[in-house]
Amino acid sequence: MMWFLSFIPDAWLNLAVLSILGVGVLIYVLSYFVAFIPTLIPAKEPIRIIGTLLVVAGVYFYGSYDTEMSWRGKMAEQATAIEKAQEQSKIANAKIENDAKERIKVIYKNATIVKQYIDREVVKYDETCKIPDVVVKAHNAAAKNEAIK
Amino acid sequence: MKYLLITLVLFLSACGSLPVVNKFPDAPTKFSMEKCPQLATVENGVKLSELTKTITMNYSTYYECAVKTDAWIEWYQIQKKIHEDIK
Repeated sequence: MMWFLSFIPDAWLNLAVLSILGVGVLIYVLSYFVAFIPTLIPAKEPIRIIGTLLVVAGVYFYGSYDTEMSWRGKMAEQATAIEKAQEQSKIANAKIENDAKERIKVIYKNATIVKQYIDREVVKYDETCKIPDVVVKAHNAAAKNEAIK
Repeated sequence: MKYLLITLVLFLSACGSLPVVNKFPDAPTKFSMEKCPQLATVENGVKLSELTKTITMNYSTYYECAVKTDAWIEWYQIQKKIHEDIK
């Protein structure tokens, strides 16, 4: 039932709780002075009961308020930790992305160098070294990860 | 009965999720969500140089895929540590 407290600002809650407690104490203390006012003597006990009930309610609400504040503190702490984690995650992702980009760049740079070497050196053997169809078949089966017949 | 229902609804409202939610971390790189491509094949009667180039290209494809996998592994290890540090 205390969930609705989360919609009320801290200061208002604190003020409400202290007011209930304060009014309760005041009424309870005043009940002792009622004995000096003859017209109010019959109301002495009800006034004391109301004061006591307000003090009990005030103490109860103070406990609830304390729990509520403790939860709000924990939630704020958790929100800060999550914000920090998300920031760390972004930084880590940026680093991973940069490293990966750099590695891929090197891979294709080296592949280009190898291709240039092929165009310069391997091409000389194109006429003398004929590739049999079985080599093509084996290569393609391996490339497609297929069983060869 | 009416008051009982209202009370039950009020109690159930307290079972709502916590307002503090951690977002699932993003993928490590933009290209890590792309699938690894199929390796290139050659036609019968291919020249030695063309075959060697295709093999080179296929090796590059493999290494690119390895980079993506490594990125995911590193991402998992870092995210796991970050997530554990929250608790």
